[in-house]
Amino acid sequence: MKQPWAWVSWLIATIVILSITRNPLYLLLILMCVIFVGMSLRQSGAETVSPYSLWKLAAWILLLSTAFNALTSHYGQTVLFTIPGKLPLLSGPVTMEAMVYGFTNGLVLTGILASFMVLNLALTVRELISLIPQAFFPLAVVTSIAVTYLPTTLRQFRQIREAQGIRGHQMRTLRDWLPLWMPLLVGGLEHAMQLAEAMTARGFASTRPGEQRGGITPRIFLIIGLVLLAIGWIAQLGGAGVYGLAIIVSGALLIFGGLWFLGRESPRTSYHSPGWGWQDWLNMLVSLVVMAICILPMLEPINQTLFYDPYPTLSLPPFSPLLGMAMLGLLLPGVFAHFKSTHEKLDLKARRRASHGRTEV
Amino acid sequence: MKSRLFSLAIYLTATISGMLVLLYPFFLPVILRQTGFGMMRTGEMPLMMTFLLGLCLVALLFEAQGQMVNTKLVALLGILVAINSALRFIETAIPGPGGFTPIFFLIILVGYVFGGRAGFLMGALTLLVSALVTGGVGPWLPAQMFTAGWVGMSVIILRPLVTALSARRAQGSFLSNRMEIYLLAGFGLLWGFLYGGIMNLWQWPFIAGPQSQSYAAGMGFLATVRHYLAFYLVTSLVWDAVAAFGNVLLLLALGAPALRALRRFRHRFEFTYTPETSAVTVRQGDKLIP
Repeated sequence: MKQPWAWVSWLIATIVILSITRNPLYLLLILMCVIFVGMSLRQSGAETVSPYSLWKLAAWILLLSTAFNALTSHYGQTVLFTIPGKLPLLSGPVTMEAMVYGFTNGLVLTGILASFMVLNLALTVRELISLIPQAFFPLAVVTSIAVTYLPTTLRQFRQIREAQGIRGHQMRTLRDWLPLWMPLLVGGLEHAMQLAEAMTARGFASTRPGEQRGGITPRIFLIIGLVLLAIGWIAQLGGAGVYGLAIIVSGALLIFGGLWFLGRESPRTSYHSPGWGWQDWLNMLVSLVVMAICILPMLEPINQTLFYDPYPTLSLPPFSPLLGMAMLGLLLPGVFAHFKSTHEKLDLKARRRASHGRTEV
Repeated sequence: MKSRLFSLAIYLTATISGMLVLLYPFFLPVILRQTGFGMMRTGEMPLMMTFLLGLCLVALLFEAQGQMVNTKLVALLGILVAINSALRFIETAIPGPGGFTPIFFLIILVGYVFGGRAGFLMGALTLLVSALVTGGVGPWLPAQMFTAGWVGMSVIILRPLVTALSARRAQGSFLSNRMEIYLLAGFGLLWGFLYGGIMNLWQWPFIAGPQSQSYAAGMGFLATVRHYLAFYLVTSLVWDAVAAFGNVLLLLALGAPALRALRRFRHRFEFTYTPETSAVTVRQGDKLIP
């Protein structure tokens, strides 16, 4: 599965479900699905530059969130112990309900972080940039330049530091950063100058200066869309429910329409664009179905179990096996990655055996 | 003129819509009093906020990129965003104290020298690129890009102030020649706190905490402000103070030479290519084909 939009649909489904449920059983189930997908991707050789370890991060988030809520929120009827005295925030009963609520919030945050980590693992920076809509092609070019130039900047910084170190430069105060910072900045600006000349020489943006792309129509779409978003949001806050949502959706459609209108004027070509395989289609379909099961109001008998509140007295969270089964659909990208890595390993073994046999002959 | 009006309208509507999304806890009581209805399920709020802020950001980015089909601005922003993302990359690997981050220093200077549009793009794209390379893409990204973009865009309000103060200095007033840097440092101080304050708004309504600091639907405006201030003082003030004073120190120590370099290159970038239509000819045999 290599189509970026298929991964985005999986991510959206995961985030939507994580955002609407506070039931720890479903949260744990989704977290397990996300971790399985991440581990399968790692097995299949995906690598990321993320400086964070999910396990450490998850442990910290869960610990802090549980402890913070337990120590500062004194609601609930199952009192574990009481902090005596008149300590601001802390004094008062520490309840089981507050701990469970804090732990649940920690699970939501961990799930969101983990699913974005999986996306970063699944897609390369180039593939992430390819998700930028066509209407934003100047920004996509800026992002591509920045991503390409970043390793060079880091290398330049190291070289400047070494060169200054040889000259006896020492870092004592903040102003000692100046001999490192200024060559980096000026070198970068010189590079920008050369790049601008090279791009102009190759005909980039060789339109008439001051020519406004797309004219006025997309901008009118944007303005009306933004006004509708604001009205829809206020209506939604005021309890207008479906009407508010409808106004927001129409505003969003107008904004997307304006961007589509503009994007048509900037045709994009790519050397290699990832196609849509059956795995991508299946994953997208399953993600949409899982999300629909969780959010559609007509399926309330099933998705009602998503809502759970440990206050005021702790009770067992409800669980619908049907909904749990549906959520397992989020495992699909992991299953594909797992099969891919197994298939590759078997293939490699077979090739090794074949070459070994040839050597013996 | 018409184009400028449209541009202004997009900036205003996107900013007001974005602020309505972020500041809803403060005006919600008024709406609830007017309509008499309950509010939407709180579980869906963070998602909706991310979606709406994302759309406002998209509109702002669209307008800010406007006539950016210009090799000089594209190359300049690409390289400066790379430098700033490298600073954030280093900061992620070796975290500084509290909320200290070196990225706002360059965002402020670029916005001040190259204008609000470049400043907005510099802020928003720095956060985007650094999130891409450090694996930090998440639902918080639209709010971060939106706010960092505004850091770069709003700095142009200092320009008329600096011009006015420079005029007074020319008339013999005893203003320091580092006044410009002091003003920028003051601006960095202000945004150090504001950035944290705005980013907190994104999560504050959903955090369960002590009654005196938590948000509860139905509170009056003043009570909401009081609770938010209490929450901010307890959870964020120290963290943001480190960020704010970090901005000040960086601008005071490195700001003046960086400003001079950026100005020098702004002049160097002020060249235009004009295609010589009459000279675009190809010699083919004895004929000149235009």
